[in-house]
Amino acid sequence: MARMKFLCDAERCIECNACVTACKNEHEVQWGVNRRRVVTINDGEPTEKSLSVACMHCTDAPCSAVCPVDCFYTTEDGVVLHNKDACIGCGYCLFACPFGAPQFPQDGAFGERGKMDKCTFCAGGPEEDNSTTERAKYGRNRLAEGKLPLCAEMCSTKALLAGDANEVADIFRERVVARGSNRGAWGQNLQFNPLGGGKG
Amino acid sequence: MPVNSLAAAAMQWCVGLVLACCALLGATQAMAADPPKAPGDTVADYWREVRQGMPGVSQVQGAEGGVMINARGETWRQQRNGPLKRYGGMILLAMLGIIVLFYLVKGPMKLSEPPTGRKIQRFTPFERFAHWGTAITFILMGLTGLAILFGRTVLGPLIGSDGLGGLLALGKLVHNYLGPVFLAFTILLIFAFLRDNVWQKCDTEWIAKAGGLFSSGGHVPSGRFNFGEKTWFWLGVTFLGLFVAATGLLLNFPALVDRTRDLMQNLVLLHAIGAVLLLAMSLGHIYMGTVGVEGALDSMKTGEVDETWAKEHHELWYEDVKAGRSGHP
Repeated sequence: MARMKFLCDAERCIECNACVTACKNEHEVQWGVNRRRVVTINDGEPTEKSLSVACMHCTDAPCSAVCPVDCFYTTEDGVVLHNKDACIGCGYCLFACPFGAPQFPQDGAFGERGKMDKCTFCAGGPEEDNSTTERAKYGRNRLAEGKLPLCAEMCSTKALLAGDANEVADIFRERVVARGSNRGAWGQNLQFNPLGGGKG
Repeated sequence: MPVNSLAAAAMQWCVGLVLACCALLGATQAMAADPPKAPGDTVADYWREVRQGMPGVSQVQGAEGGVMINARGETWRQQRNGPLKRYGGMILLAMLGIIVLFYLVKGPMKLSEPPTGRKIQRFTPFERFAHWGTAITFILMGLTGLAILFGRTVLGPLIGSDGLGGLLALGKLVHNYLGPVFLAFTILLIFAFLRDNVWQKCDTEWIAKAGGLFSSGGHVPSGRFNFGEKTWFWLGVTFLGLFVAATGLLLNFPALVDRTRDLMQNLVLLHAIGAVLLLAMSLGHIYMGTVGVEGALDSMKTGEVDETWAKEHHELWYEDVKAGRSGHP
């Protein structure tokens, strides 16, 4: 089976937030929940960089390790999913996650956390593929339809890549080689040297 | 003499000036050789800072929308799943083991003389209300809290993820909503018993004889509460009780106040450490109050004790009450 991975190319991301919007629309995510977000470092400075962040579907996922009800599971494709029926909304997965991926809708009195919601790599949940219950709880299951995550599919600069780890790595390696010969996008040395001494 | 001193002063000035020039020159050279580094000077430095949690900005609103990497999360996971669960579990099991062993070796403390049948009041209805309110909320808080920390390890293999989910969905509600009630009862309990838990002269003897634990007679005269009970009152109920309730209150209602993950991680750890210690101490108190000491449970159930019980367990208090005084220190 494939080993699914996201990769965001900092040389290409233009902080358009289309991935965020596409994700929200595709899965009809609850109010206040963002499965994906774009973070910009050093905003407005020459060293500005943006990256699109969501669940990175870790191999040894911290969220899964700290969950008091053990509701996470990893699919054959290496996608980390969770069972919303078991989730109690304690928030521990958010405390442990390096990427701030788990999100919680406000539910009930006193601003209590509802059931956790996060990026599913467009792979739904434990219910039957493309069933109405799966659609309502986890959003669309694009992987079951033979499609890749929408955020990456529609990324205009192809900064965000999603798919089998080997293929994603091959695409990125090609880009690095091209940049190294100074014929591709801006090289990192040029981009990051504030003194202007770019070595290409 | 004045000429000499003038020359010396001029000499000193010259030396000072030369030294100052050297220092200035050195400084400029140092600056030229090592220009101050701005963040993101090299690619490696740049991403290292992001990895360590340097915040940026994001269109997604929230307490930490701009933080790309939560650097503490993995450490927190290791601390919670590692030492906290391991040592916390060991402390509780060790305490339980010691109590069972104590019961098997020494058995419950029985009265050495027959009861007189004459009852005297030991607890007022208000004191019993404060005690049972705290006790019931504490037991519910303790069980649900233990289920959150150890449920997956202990019950998980038996009832599975869905079973745990159902159990803890209810457990979380109970734990979150009963927390403030527990705090209220704890404060009530502290006020109810505060004046009886002050230092008394007889406490010295109690400490010296370790509460009569190893002496043949067993009983050391004490006031309304002995030093063991006072320790439980101050260290357990007051310090740990308030500490656990306060950290719990800060963990509660997450959406009302947007707290950072760092704060929540630390609070979960502190709350759990305090709770494990409080639970361990409470096991001792619960043992002494139920099977450990004959007649202790009745005193809190009915508010009255037999005169023999009073004389054998709290002699100074008994004499005080018999003499018509309040019995309070």
